[in-house]
Amino acid sequence: MLAFEIFALTADWMAAKWLLWIALYLIFGLFLPWAMTSAWTSQHGSPMKPDLKQLFQNGELGLVSLMLSISVIWDLQRSQYSSYTIALGSVFLALTGMMAGSVWIESYCRRSTGIRFRPERAWRDSRNLALLVFSLALVTEILLDRFVKAAL
Amino acid sequence: MSASALAPAIAKEQPRNLAMRLADPAATLAYLSLLFGLLLVLFPVSFPRLIVENWQNARLTPIMILFTVSVNLGLYLTVAHQRSAKPGIAASACLGSVPVFVLAGLNFVLQATIVHTFSSSVPNASLRVDEEILAHTYFSMIAAIFAPFLIIRFTQQFKKTDA
Repeated sequence: MLAFEIFALTADWMAAKWLLWIALYLIFGLFLPWAMTSAWTSQHGSPMKPDLKQLFQNGELGLVSLMLSISVIWDLQRSQYSSYTIALGSVFLALTGMMAGSVWIESYCRRSTGIRFRPERAWRDSRNLALLVFSLALVTEILLDRFVKAAL
Repeated sequence: MSASALAPAIAKEQPRNLAMRLADPAATLAYLSLLFGLLLVLFPVSFPRLIVENWQNARLTPIMILFTVSVNLGLYLTVAHQRSAKPGIAASACLGSVPVFVLAGLNFVLQATIVHTFSSSVPNASLRVDEEILAHTYFSMIAAIFAPFLIIRFTQQFKKTDA
């Protein structure tokens, strides 16, 4: 039983497309903008030390989350899951994606109209909702990976 | 100090009603979701089997109802305590009842899905059904925790609170 579990675990890790998927989103969604900001500041000799909180303080992570949820909904739509499961997963990914996106919209509207805007709240809300969308997307990709292997 | 001077001070100290934001339950829900994913990766055979066996014995839905209602109420009371705000009766009722309706409803949907999968004579139908149960359990858990907070948030929006 234990040997079978270890074999399944190893096989899973070796063929896990979701690991590549995480790496792509972390690199292009978080690390690359931060690295480009650092490169720009060092090129222009600016004393600014950019961090993720400053970079995404207007709720931009919400927008990244919306894009992320769209990509996973697309993967889910192309899967061989039953239509009920696809609908359920898509609805909740879309809802959480929209809620995350609305943080960015709200902070944009508040900044544009001059209504009280608190960057720390926009950062906290977008960070929490982005974490939720990311975890939902990650587990959905793991489930999709498993289903593909089961359906073979 | 006279009684008339004390009255406004007492009125000021009364806790205000709790205004929830979706970001409050989001972090906890994200950690729960990551835990589910981690269990799926670390125990790719025994964890799904545990879920499927519990579903076959009709124990999964009551366990999930108990779990999600406890998580929801725990989250709500924690936020109320952190903000020193008064928890609302209507919101508590929503947090206690919505997960029951959501999980019971989605259980019927899952049964329909399984019947559909077995009747459509696809290859590896049994394995596919196990994966459907697993995916359904995960999405149902998320729905049962997230949906009540979404309803509370929209209700607050109609009341025009500045949350």
